[in-house]
Amino acid sequence: MSLKRYAKSVDGTIPVQALLYTDEDLLASQESVGIYDGPQKSAQHQAGSVYATTYRLFYIDTAHPRSRSFALDLSDVGRTDYYAGLLRSSSKVTLYLRARPKPETATSEHPIGSGTPQSNVTGAEDPVFDSWECEVCSYRNPPGLSPTAARICGLCGVPRSSVKPTSVFAKSSAAASYHLSSSLPSSSLNLPAFGAAAPSSQTSSPESTVDGKTDEEVACPACTFLNHPSLPACEICGTPLPRRPFAMRALHPPAKSAPTSRPITPMTDDDDDDDADSPDKRMIRLSFRKGGDKAFYNVLRRSLLGKAWEGGSSITKPVSAGAPLAKASDTARSGITGILQTVDDTKKTTENNMQDALQDLEALMIKWKDMVRLAQDLNERLTAASTSASGAPSAGDTGPAMITQAVEPEEATFIRSSLAQLGLQMNNTPVTLDMVRDERRWVEELAKELAGILQGQGKAQGMMRRRGIIGLDEVWGGWNRARGVALIPPATFLQVLPQLPSYTSPPIQMRTFQSSGLSVLHTPPYTRAAFASRMVSLLTLAGPKTTVDVAHEEELPIALVQEMVGEVEDAGEICRDESESGVSIPTVGAGRWASGEVRWWVNVFRGYVWDGHEFA
Amino acid sequence: MQLSTHTTPSGFLLPSIHSAPPFFTQQPNPATQAIVAEQWSKLILSYARFRNMFTLRVEDAEIPGGEWDEVLRNERINRRLLPAHLASLIADMVSKNLASYDPPNQTRSVLLWWRQPDEWAEVLYQWADSTGQMNTILTFYEILDPPVPSALSGIPITVLRRAVSILTKSQRAQIISVSDGEGVRFLSRNGK
Repeated sequence: MSLKRYAKSVDGTIPVQALLYTDEDLLASQESVGIYDGPQKSAQHQAGSVYATTYRLFYIDTAHPRSRSFALDLSDVGRTDYYAGLLRSSSKVTLYLRARPKPETATSEHPIGSGTPQSNVTGAEDPVFDSWECEVCSYRNPPGLSPTAARICGLCGVPRSSVKPTSVFAKSSAAASYHLSSSLPSSSLNLPAFGAAAPSSQTSSPESTVDGKTDEEVACPACTFLNHPSLPACEICGTPLPRRPFAMRALHPPAKSAPTSRPITPMTDDDDDDDADSPDKRMIRLSFRKGGDKAFYNVLRRSLLGKAWEGGSSITKPVSAGAPLAKASDTARSGITGILQTVDDTKKTTENNMQDALQDLEALMIKWKDMVRLAQDLNERLTAASTSASGAPSAGDTGPAMITQAVEPEEATFIRSSLAQLGLQMNNTPVTLDMVRDERRWVEELAKELAGILQGQGKAQGMMRRRGIIGLDEVWGGWNRARGVALIPPATFLQVLPQLPSYTSPPIQMRTFQSSGLSVLHTPPYTRAAFASRMVSLLTLAGPKTTVDVAHEEELPIALVQEMVGEVEDAGEICRDESESGVSIPTVGAGRWASGEVRWWVNVFRGYVWDGHEFA
Repeated sequence: MQLSTHTTPSGFLLPSIHSAPPFFTQQPNPATQAIVAEQWSKLILSYARFRNMFTLRVEDAEIPGGEWDEVLRNERINRRLLPAHLASLIADMVSKNLASYDPPNQTRSVLLWWRQPDEWAEVLYQWADSTGQMNTILTFYEILDPPVPSALSGIPITVLRRAVSILTKSQRAQIISVSDGEGVRFLSRNGK
């Protein structure tokens, strides 16, 4: 039927974008579309998405994307019809397909139906999809271009001379070379497999003599690894391998992501082809079950009118799409002039793009004053809203308060940070370098901001409200979290810290522990001297203590206390008693000394005078 | 915590610091450790003088039941001096000339100079003078084990030799070889 004759099977598990030719554009898509093959519903294609591109129409089946998806060349579409739908009947778009020149073997069409005389079912290579070298300028044309674009050298515009005449007959060698150049072993090696397994009714091609070596390996559809034929699943990735009989029926197209995907039409219905080829049956209907039909139809029509497949040079260069400057004919593009023109076109396109981009900026520059005013207005309102919300929570049921509560703090923060990113200076917003030109002032502003975060502003609790000492890393992280935007790098952070004591009350200072290099911010009670005297008095009053005891007393983390106690010991205020110097056999009643921890003592040696044995 | 002195069964008065557990720990703070080492060397020398002992070995801290137990251990607070700490204390004492390695070329055993060599020389000269043995030739044995016990009874021969050599340098003694070993003749200072 027409669907089988015109459509090419594609692997719908691959995103459509990846199936496109290099110069093909995806124009529109629509979900929940069913397909009518001729006048009847096509049972296998009743739920899927359609995609219109400049060259093709894709149908990706929702339930069976791998086996039931197909692509249809728009060049085959003769005319279209639109039916808006009535009551329960969905709107439909009918595509009437052109009659094709009928090749000798009607089992399959060449996908493009173009002048290439190759009418081979299992054509292992499709010359237009291959990467090829121009005979004139030696430019290596990349694969993946649309058939139209691939006919002409991308650099000099000289048409590609012809398909290699040997490609049909020297199949295995061609396949091998294809393998090397395209790095798609699955396709190149699966295809000879078709040839060998399905000689079918071919009369002309001798590919049943394809050598059996490549035939034995089965390419994994997922990772393309060539597996031994006896394996049921891929040796590398474990994907179930296609069995050869399935491959022969071509329900499972060779796995690949490039448009080199080669359709294998089922070859069972030679007989009814003649009846099906009547003009009124050569059509495909798209039934839009969930709307979107009008927009899609418009796009499709535009794409059909554009006739990208006829090879307008503006379409071979997608970057310049829309720019009418490259409407030169094919003949004018050949030779050195053509090369120069191509280069020139590219340059002009780039220039145009740049100008477009800069126009936005210029418009912004004209409007900046209004922007600033607007931003300030917005910020003032936000501030007013937040203060009224926090100031009068009792008036929660009145109108304005409802509005203020509707303004989520997160949204307000987002707006403010956006404003700050625009470089608009305001109160209560994170300080950024753009706001303050002078670096010294900047550091001071940052110190003020940090002081606010550490000690809290107004009712808000600062990071150090309940703690007198805090690790530098935590401060840095907390500060940047509070800022949200324009994060402060550690170097700047360290630059700000010396300024901090003058903006905090009581002054917060930084202190680095010698032994570990840990830096902390602390309030006056946690200076070296203050902590030492507090610890000494604790030891004097309560007797020797372990580090854990001290940490418990100070309500600080043990590791931090260990650092601080270490400094006190370095100052000679305390001394240690290691219980490992206990007498090896523990005596009864000595259990309280037997713990494995260091006990801290007031420095009992300082000022000690010998009171032991004296000799007369 | 009030620390108090303690009198050992042998009659030695231990200082109060001996009952402070930190005293038995090697302090990481160098200033504190200096005080600890100073007090330990004073304690060790006092005890050695009290017991008339001359050698201290690192092993004394390892084996319980030795003659140093009263000092190197404190059962009352369940503390003992660790051998490593004792070794460092010994090294400290050697560096301060309060002890010397004996035998030399090892660091496990020391001779304690609870009197300095010149003090020993004075003691020796005083003894010779007070016992009226000037200008008499005495063998080392006669000095170390005199019929009447003296301060020099039982001192190591190394100490005696050092004391005699100091006296020799100041022309107050003369070493004389006798048939069964060495002898020494003390010279009165105004003799020359």
